[in-house]
Amino acid sequence: MSSIPLTHILFVSTALFFIGMYGLFTRRNMITMLMSVELILNSVNINFVAFNKYLYPDKLDGIFFSLFIITIAAAEAAVAIAIIINLYRSHHSIDVEDATEMKY
Amino acid sequence: MGSASLIALTLAAVLFSAGGILIAKLLVKGTVNPQKGQAYECGIPTSSSPWNQFNIGYYLFALIFLIFDVELIFLYPWAVVVKKMGMVALVEIVVFLFILFMGFLYAHKKGALKWM
Amino acid sequence: MNDLLIIMKQELLLTLIIFVLLTLKIAKDMDNGAFLNLVNLLLAINFVVGFLGGMEGMLFNEMYHTNSLIILEKNILNLGTLIISLQSWSWLKDHKHVAEFYILLLCTLLGMFFMISAGNLLMFYLGLELSTIPLAAIANFDLAKRKSSEAAMKLIISSAFSSGLLLFGISLVYGSTGTLGFAGIAASYSADPMQLFAFVLLLAGFGFKISAVPFHLWTADVYEGAPVAVTSYLSVISKGAILFVLVPVLYTVFKPIAESWYNMLYLLSVVTIIVGNLFAIRQENFKRFLAFSSIAQVGFILVGITGSSSAGSSAVVYFVLIYIFSNLAAFGVVSFVSATTGREGISDYKGFYKTNPVLSWVLAIGLFSLAGVPPTAGFFGKFFLLLAGAGKGNYILLTIAALNMIISLYYYLRIVKAIFMDSNDHPIEKLSVPVFPKLALYLCMAGIVFTGFVRYVYDYIQSLSIGF
Repeated sequence: MSSIPLTHILFVSTALFFIGMYGLFTRRNMITMLMSVELILNSVNINFVAFNKYLYPDKLDGIFFSLFIITIAAAEAAVAIAIIINLYRSHHSIDVEDATEMKY
Repeated sequence: MGSASLIALTLAAVLFSAGGILIAKLLVKGTVNPQKGQAYECGIPTSSSPWNQFNIGYYLFALIFLIFDVELIFLYPWAVVVKKMGMVALVEIVVFLFILFMGFLYAHKKGALKWM
Repeated sequence: MNDLLIIMKQELLLTLIIFVLLTLKIAKDMDNGAFLNLVNLLLAINFVVGFLGGMEGMLFNEMYHTNSLIILEKNILNLGTLIISLQSWSWLKDHKHVAEFYILLLCTLLGMFFMISAGNLLMFYLGLELSTIPLAAIANFDLAKRKSSEAAMKLIISSAFSSGLLLFGISLVYGSTGTLGFAGIAASYSADPMQLFAFVLLLAGFGFKISAVPFHLWTADVYEGAPVAVTSYLSVISKGAILFVLVPVLYTVFKPIAESWYNMLYLLSVVTIIVGNLFAIRQENFKRFLAFSSIAQVGFILVGITGSSSAGSSAVVYFVLIYIFSNLAAFGVVSFVSATTGREGISDYKGFYKTNPVLSWVLAIGLFSLAGVPPTAGFFGKFFLLLAGAGKGNYILLTIAALNMIISLYYYLRIVKAIFMDSNDHPIEKLSVPVFPKLALYLCMAGIVFTGFVRYVYDYIQSLSIGF
């Protein structure tokens, strides 16, 4: 259990965070962008659980924070998907390049 | 306790499920016809392959399921401490479930749960 | 138990209202007129009850705390919501989903209350999300309009991204201090690289929500596409709530790194004022124009926050109060015109004075107050902000801010000129204002005059505020 140092886990979570960011900025499909946001949130979850387990094992703050993040991410995804479906009805596309009614 | 109880639990689970199937086999007088092997056993022969695409209208079920499924995550930590906290925990979970239930009632009222 | 009821009375009352509306929606079908009357009555009661018998205190292991300043801030937000609700009467009276609109709107207000009262990063995050996710849903409430769903999509993606940044910052704060409580963080924060990085991420998250400049790109599109009621809610209530949180978070939680955040805020405010102003000049759509002008206003507020004195904190609250009145006066007219005629371009307002003199004066006074022209309240608000900013003796920042006030005067007056002097072949026809929007406009006018000239308001806010 303790053979894996904390830095390795932090490395994974930071990599996940920046992969999510990269995906958000490069992908043009709204569902994929939403998945990238979920990656960012999950990297935060890993961070919280790892910090809690390794540094402050006598308290449960971090684990509870990640529980709340999971539920809020689900709510956010539900609202976002509902909006995307509504957008699809009017634009017939879920490519962000097609949603350009407004600029500058 | 420990491994003995685990083995007992496993055995009990296997016996319970296997027993149910066996008793059903014994009690029912089996008849076999081609309609029984079909995807929806409603008495009507299926009109096309069951592997077709579903109506996009079903996304509402998916969205509602997503929310209610994930909200149950809060029941696990609650279940751990409910004995220690007693009445307060009970009241809090009733409030929580009441809020969820209001959401469910709203979804029902809007007809989101109607089978299309 | 009694303490809990009194300390959390504003949140509990709001929750009760939400449940009443939800039950009504489930139980029977009311017609819109009766429903709107009921909602406005409930919101008025909510506003009045907010002033009765408040109590300072902490609850749930310091998760939730409140004091007189926080109670006042919540009352300000209540007032703003009431005005917006009155104003959007003409838009909502034919809308199919009025109950849902109000339930979601009040949920966001509840989230803001919890966010303002948070004494813990977890509570703060929950309040923040409760105040942004339903907003994206109601930004989509012009269901048939393409622009509306596009605006909602941009809002939800950018707010999800910004809360991702904020959360990563929070996780690093947790990792380096071992606590999520504000008091615990303040006790053990220092300027080591990891904690500075965490703070930068947090500030970026805040920057997104208040649309400070490098993070402002979503603002104009969302403001233009969303229904006007939602736009005005986004630009005054939601922005005001985040500013109300930002000040105590910077002044108490991140006090140990005050030097660093002063420099960051200095840069942010300069860029925000300049970019907001320059982009506001070239806008043709009234809502986009107000979006960029509100970005510039945030820049001025950040100047006040850099003062890091009790004057800074009270100037921010005072300015937000005035900003609610003046921005809602402008938005009220735009909202009414847009709901009845569907016209939103600035050039549509040419010759507006000939057909609608009263509405023209309301719009002009609102714009004057936004620009900070002396007899209106907006002047005093900006004056106190700059005075607070001067406390640190950074005169370069003050010079830039003052120069930009002149630029902003140019584009506000350009619109006033279009309203009063320009001629138009197809002016907006004569409109008769129904009683609720009229009441809202009277409230705004009274607020612009009252908060500017009655010394008691500022003194009261200053007696409550914090600083170091």
